[in-house]
Amino acid sequence: MRASYNWLRELSGVDAPADEIADKLTGAGLEVEGVERLGEGLEGVVVAEVRGVRPHPHRDRLRLVRVFDGAGEHEVVCGAPNVPDAGGRVLLARLGATLPGGLEIAERDLGGVVSRGMLCSEVELGIGADAAGIVVLGPHDAGAPGDAATDALRLRDVVFEIGLTPNRPDCLGHVGLARELALLYGRTLVLPAAQAPAALVEEGDALLAAGPARFALPLAAPPAGRVGPRVEAVRPAARGPAVEVEIRDAERCPRYGAALVLGVTSGPSPLWVRYRLHCLGIRAISNLVDATNLVLMERGHPIHGFDLDKVRGRKIVVRAAADGERMATLDDVERTLTADDLLICDGEGPVAVAGVMGGADSEMGEGTRDVLIECAYFDPRSVRRTSRRLGLHTEASHRFERGVDPSAVRAVLARAATLLAELGGGAVVPDGLDVVARSIEAPSVVLCHARMARLLGVEVPPAFTRRVLEGIGCEVLDDAAAAIEVRVPSHRPDLAMEADLIEEVARIYGYDRVPTAVPRVRPSKDGTPVSIRFDRRLREAAAAGAGLTEAITYAFVAPGALEAARVSTQAVPLHNPLSEERSVMRTSLLPGLLEAAAVTRRREPVSVQLFELGTVFAPGDGALPIERPMFAWLLAGPRPGWIGTDGALDFYDGKGRLEGTLRALGAFTPELRLDPAIEQLAPFLHPRRAARIALGGRDLGVLGEVHPDVCGALGLDARAVYGELDVAGLEAATRALGVAQARALPRYPAAVRDIAMVVREGHAVGEIMDALRDAGGALVERIELFDRYQGEHVPDGHVSLAFHVVYRDPQATLTDKRVDAAHAKLGATAEARFEARLRA
Amino acid sequence: MTRPDAPEEGGAGEAARELRDGLAKIGAEFRASLAEASDEPSLRERNARWVGPGGALTRLMKLMPKVPSGERRDLGKQINALKTEVNEAFEHALVALERAAREAELAATPLDVTLPGRDVRAGRLHPITRVRYELLDIFGALGFDVADGPEIDLHENCFDKLGFPADHPATDMQDTFYITREELGASATTLLRTHTSTIQIREMLRREPPLAIVAPGAVYRRDDDATHSPMFFQIEGFLVDEDVSFSELKGVLTLFARRLFDAEVSLRFRPSYFPFVEPGGEVDVSCVFCRAWERDAARTAACGVCKGTGWIEILGCGMIHPTVFRNVGYDAERYTGFAFGMGLDRIAMLKYGVPNIRLLYENDVRFLSGF
Ligand SMILES: [Zn+2]
Repeated sequence: MRASYNWLRELSGVDAPADEIADKLTGAGLEVEGVERLGEGLEGVVVAEVRGVRPHPHRDRLRLVRVFDGAGEHEVVCGAPNVPDAGGRVLLARLGATLPGGLEIAERDLGGVVSRGMLCSEVELGIGADAAGIVVLGPHDAGAPGDAATDALRLRDVVFEIGLTPNRPDCLGHVGLARELALLYGRTLVLPAAQAPAALVEEGDALLAAGPARFALPLAAPPAGRVGPRVEAVRPAARGPAVEVEIRDAERCPRYGAALVLGVTSGPSPLWVRYRLHCLGIRAISNLVDATNLVLMERGHPIHGFDLDKVRGRKIVVRAAADGERMATLDDVERTLTADDLLICDGEGPVAVAGVMGGADSEMGEGTRDVLIECAYFDPRSVRRTSRRLGLHTEASHRFERGVDPSAVRAVLARAATLLAELGGGAVVPDGLDVVARSIEAPSVVLCHARMARLLGVEVPPAFTRRVLEGIGCEVLDDAAAAIEVRVPSHRPDLAMEADLIEEVARIYGYDRVPTAVPRVRPSKDGTPVSIRFDRRLREAAAAGAGLTEAITYAFVAPGALEAARVSTQAVPLHNPLSEERSVMRTSLLPGLLEAAAVTRRREPVSVQLFELGTVFAPGDGALPIERPMFAWLLAGPRPGWIGTDGALDFYDGKGRLEGTLRALGAFTPELRLDPAIEQLAPFLHPRRAARIALGGRDLGVLGEVHPDVCGALGLDARAVYGELDVAGLEAATRALGVAQARALPRYPAAVRDIAMVVREGHAVGEIMDALRDAGGALVERIELFDRYQGEHVPDGHVSLAFHVVYRDPQATLTDKRVDAAHAKLGATAEARFEARLRA
Repeated sequence: MTRPDAPEEGGAGEAARELRDGLAKIGAEFRASLAEASDEPSLRERNARWVGPGGALTRLMKLMPKVPSGERRDLGKQINALKTEVNEAFEHALVALERAAREAELAATPLDVTLPGRDVRAGRLHPITRVRYELLDIFGALGFDVADGPEIDLHENCFDKLGFPADHPATDMQDTFYITREELGASATTLLRTHTSTIQIREMLRREPPLAIVAPGAVYRRDDDATHSPMFFQIEGFLVDEDVSFSELKGVLTLFARRLFDAEVSLRFRPSYFPFVEPGGEVDVSCVFCRAWERDAARTAACGVCKGTGWIEILGCGMIHPTVFRNVGYDAERYTGFAFGMGLDRIAMLKYGVPNIRLLYENDVRFLSGF
């Protein structure tokens, strides 16, 4: 909401600096997000009177205009098509002025004639959107030749950009903001008395019982006397039949008011109107349309003007649309409606989508003579549904869906009729219509002072409380020592219970004045679930124990990415995604991590060593999909060495990260199993370079090189290694392992023997080591592979392996004889089980 | 290898002479020879020439059996004495060599200490995670438990129970990703949670007061522009007990902010609107970039982060709305409570000076390694 400082000052009577007002509003919950100062750069612009116009000697499209600027006459060259005749007033930028756009006005030779100044358009002065011609002042506009434009025409303002929360529809107009301002400055808001058609016919609540109301009132003869300044009432009888209003849907249209202004002439608005609208970010269109917009911005209540001649049958019917009914809205779009939409119709068909947008057919235009002004209260939820369904968010729907003031209908109509007549030169028919099909009662609420003190932690004086409640418009029903009862104002649909009033008092009192107290937090009996603590342990283990860096990728991905990554495509789709790229929930962390690696490596081919702990999603049978936390890691690119790199990251790096993470979690080692079914289980992995991961006998994940086709499809230039673990399973395995227990250090020395052998490729080293350990029996403390070699001196298809075998008897010092005997069994086993050829 | 002894008679005098001459020769030569050695291998090699298995002294000793028995004792003594002398000289030379080597090393070209260290290369946690744990630690120390909840939740938990009116523009404050169609009706509608306040509802439905809980997690909104990411992270905090006041909300948040930024920051509470709290507000913290609490007006005026205001908005908060209590079955007359929520992304950006939210989700390793 853009708000004019000048206007707020006029309405509220508060005369304070703009910055102070901005701070006050922000402090009261009406956040001023921006302050824009208008009218700078207009210092050298004055009102000037045209004294004569003659053609340019050399240029057809230019004219020489003699103007009087209060001090003397100057001749300026002007190309605008709308230079007025002698006596017309224009705006002259004098020599030496610098316009808001940065243009410096100096003597300029234009086609051989020196121009001493410039006649300006709205756009050149930054005071409007009209660039077609220069500003020509009309009879409504003040200013004598030589007057500074900023002063004479008040072309200086400060605009507040206010970020309104949706609970404050009352502040969507300047009157509401002025009410707040008056309260904040301890004043009483006094709005100028409405200059209005004197008699509006009240229709009783009997209509409520009768259901949808049908109503026809002749527009009666005007009472004696003038209604407002420069407004004449006319007898409608002279111009034809009466106008009839019928509400058929009291639920969605509780109240509908109408007024008539006859005999208007469409034309441009005076400069003050155009400037005010410009400040508020609204384009000036014509006096008739501008009048309705100005009332909107003043009262925050949308009104609509129909060209009465185009209202067929001189009849307004408010009814639900038929399913599939069509109408063209003002924006020239043919809309298809449903039975949940409310229409304003004339005698033959729809003329407006109620509360959202008017129709093209009944729009006010250049030839409009008589105007029917609509001011209604529509059900906020209904307007919102229609507005959303049509994708039409308008100034009107924005206000109606938040809730306008139902009891303001007459005042707003009166104001609109008066202004329209004033700007359009017409006359108001004093008898309007105010059809009430359903009355909307503002509730009464009790505020208990003690309860407020308990909730806020501060005692607010009851007198202050009363002043605030009255200041926002409440009517005090009962003011006792312990509590105050009020009827909330109809312009505050957000106030319905005590808490609402406490907030009102607190925000005006000032949150900053509420003292700060040391909190007391009583422990709850449940505490933090173990799983949440485990998440943290796991992340820290991956970073500190395995040197992995954490990624956080989007939980929604492209369906194509799931397919390309060869992970499950049984995904949970979004109903309203932002784009195809993020339209389903991920079923695996692989696509996101691969993308992260690819993005980085496209920029710079660095080493990527990432992990992520995130949720994957799958459709479920219950109300909600299945969410499963997963831990995954991905390596790609060079393996960092001490100086330079040390080859490319491979499977064993991936395995090392797994081991490092697990070691940091609880000193246990994973079992990696080659599984012939890996292609079905994890088709995203290389079929010959992948394994299942088990812990404590339970399958918890997979590890392997990413299938080269997957890397290719997802744009990664390098080989990648990927592993994933089910977090819940990992947590259970960790828990089953328990806390690592201290072990006494051995008291007797170990004896180390080496065994070296050549075996055929294909025997898993792990199996050989297991067999050797079994063969050695209890004396074998551990076996370490210390060399693995293929190449010269080793036959093709074979591999040379060398192990340290550490023997120890925890109870005694080992003798050579015992060790030799055990070691011999190892050799024999290797030869027998693996056809190993032992090497000396 | 032993050879058969030569006959004792006939060559005895000769052997004794040869031995005596040999000893004299060795005695005259070994010192110079050992002294000439310039390194340990050559020293050992030279030493072996005298006392090694094939050395001169060893060879001489083999003559002993041929020496007349009357002279053996005397010659034996001499041999042993010489052997001791050689050994001592060798040890001495060895020590001298070691010292010379150490002195040479101490005087050698210094190491290039600018070569890279051999790094253990620990990984880094994501800045959002770092902030998350920092916040959990701070609130943990204040007595708050941690909770979590599903990322896809019911419309009910995300909006209805929190008191968002149906068809009200308040729901526009949080543009929502739906999973199932809205038209199915609110009870069956599922969505990506737009805030972690869903956890407030879930925990309150599950547990009884007193409650003090913080709940971090991913949340989702249909915004994707320079300052918004469609997925981001929030932390929700709430406390429910008897007689909890707005004053205490201010107290908790003030303590929190001072610990988080490790500075005497002030907080500014402004009224604002969230359907589930009342009174509700937003909180600004004094700008940590221009250290606004030090009141250096020029520095603050030039600050691009707070745009010269000295304040940065960090969170929303308020007293839990009585409607929320009723919706979860709490006695709104007996209990009061406060709730607050903030963006972990925003805190991370403030804390680490991250200029653009996109950096947080792009996962460029070079960015992530910087924390
Ligand atoms: Zn700052």
